[in-house]
Amino acid sequence: MAPSILELKNLSREVKGRNGEPFVIFRDINLSVRDGEFVSIVGPSGCGKTTMLRVINGLIPPSTGQIVVDGREQSGTGGDLLMGFVFQGAALLPWRTSLNNVLLGLEGRGKNPSEARDLARKYLDLVGLAGFEQHYPHELSGGMQQRVNLARALAIEPKILLMDEPFAALDAQTRSFMQLELLRIWSQTKKTVIFVTHMIAEAILLSDRVVVFSHRPGTIREEFRVPLPRPRDMEVKSDRRFVDLENTLWKLIEEEVKAAGGFARL
Amino acid sequence: MVKFYCGNSRAINKVLSILCGLVLWHYLATVIVADTAFLVSPLAVVSKAYEMLFLTGELYPHLFASSWVFLYGYLLSIVVGVPLGFLMAFSPAVRDYVHPWMTTLYTTPRIAFAPVLLLWLGIGAGSKVAIVFLGCVFPILINSYYGMRVVDREFVELARSLRLTRLALFRKILLPASLPFILSGLRLALGRGLTGVAIAEWFGATAGLGYLVYFAGQTLNVPVLFVGVTAFGLMGIIGFEILRKIEDLATPWKTSHPR
Ligand SMILES: Nc1ncnc2c1ncn2[C@@H]1O[C@H](COP(=O)(O)OP(=O)(O)O)[C@@H](O)[C@H]1O
Ligand SMILES: [Mg+2]
Repeated sequence: MAPSILELKNLSREVKGRNGEPFVIFRDINLSVRDGEFVSIVGPSGCGKTTMLRVINGLIPPSTGQIVVDGREQSGTGGDLLMGFVFQGAALLPWRTSLNNVLLGLEGRGKNPSEARDLARKYLDLVGLAGFEQHYPHELSGGMQQRVNLARALAIEPKILLMDEPFAALDAQTRSFMQLELLRIWSQTKKTVIFVTHMIAEAILLSDRVVVFSHRPGTIREEFRVPLPRPRDMEVKSDRRFVDLENTLWKLIEEEVKAAGGFARL
Repeated sequence: MVKFYCGNSRAINKVLSILCGLVLWHYLATVIVADTAFLVSPLAVVSKAYEMLFLTGELYPHLFASSWVFLYGYLLSIVVGVPLGFLMAFSPAVRDYVHPWMTTLYTTPRIAFAPVLLLWLGIGAGSKVAIVFLGCVFPILINSYYGMRVVDREFVELARSLRLTRLALFRKILLPASLPFILSGLRLALGRGLTGVAIAEWFGATAGLGYLVYFAGQTLNVPVLFVGVTAFGLMGIIGFEILRKIEDLATPWKTSHPR
């Protein structure tokens, strides 16, 4: 068993609610992720998935608990650049070309400019955007923008990639292509990935392990190992084991939603 | 069709529009009003302007005086307004201190300040620059403040996620993101600044376009009056065009959009 690269211990986050009483967004998260593992977090919207990624990345502090990367406890935004964040909206700077958007995280890090540019080019190539280096975000399709978003996170060469529903805003066809692309890129880079999604099939297709979140306050309801061999393509979706796992997960999430007061409360 | 419209025909339309306006003006002046004590034809204005520029040269001192007052007041408002707007966006304390003054001074008619400023600063350059400054500074201040405030929160998260320094966050994200707002503040300030020049020079000036217009009005010299008004208009147009060029240079990602 490979050693764990990321450990979340008793992580929780609460904020002051409307009437001043504490509002728990998620609580009691204990998760251990192996180096190179692809873990998906699925749960109904509003269950605190984005907030948890932000806490893991140090953008906001946890209320309790620890985040340990490679044996070292993390706090705030100090320290090394260990994680790349892939944002739900692509968060590309409209005044920068693809290349310069990818360069953003590489500037001012003691790399010489041509070295940094080579690195940025390399990751744009990897995500399939060779030839689009000088395009501005508004000249790119939604799928291409997410590719730049991914290249930017990869270019800082982080140990861990945090991805927040990166394909949620894409049309179904583009989304399927992007899922296959991510499988390819992941197998080429061997990154550890924490992938947040509300789409069950997406989680199963991509992951080694799927973690199901409960509805408010979010906490880990159950974990599943995905029993499908790699490399995978769209055909695994008709595999018996895929369909079984999908049904199991769907029932679980349905229960969560019912417990929360039905679909209308989502 | 759209492409055709975006090309030369847009420039042609602008020229046509100006020509139509001039023809209408000429018609109004010579046929409808037909009284040179009220309105003169653009042709008379052009010939008067020609005379004042190339024969007597008497327009130059006025042009220089007004441009000088305008530029000082305008640049001073940029130097004060932009950083103060940023400080307001970053610090709630600064915001609380500046806000009541900003709203009061911004909404008080500036013409009411003119006599007061003249009283305090005398009829020299100081009071004129101050009047222009008061006109320009608030749109610049407010837009700089607002531009900083509305920067997409996700961009700030991005900067933090990439562990950018505060300086890099400012230089690479906050500043470029608020630039379009600042530029539109500069555009608003342009018109208000020129109004300020006119007001300032109405009160106890001895040169300047405002003085020229005022004096020509008092002496019923209609051609000179219109030369002064036209010169103000041209200064506005030139200012707008300069700002447009700056905007094109500063926001290259927008130039591929049709305007
Ligand atoms: N700063 C905050 N103050 C109050 N409520 C918050 C704050 N941040 C997030 N929330 C709430 O926490 C819940 C979880 O949000 P989020 O993490 O975006 O969920 P998800 O990504 O799973 O859809 C939402 O109901 C949201 O309104
Ligand atoms: Mg979310």
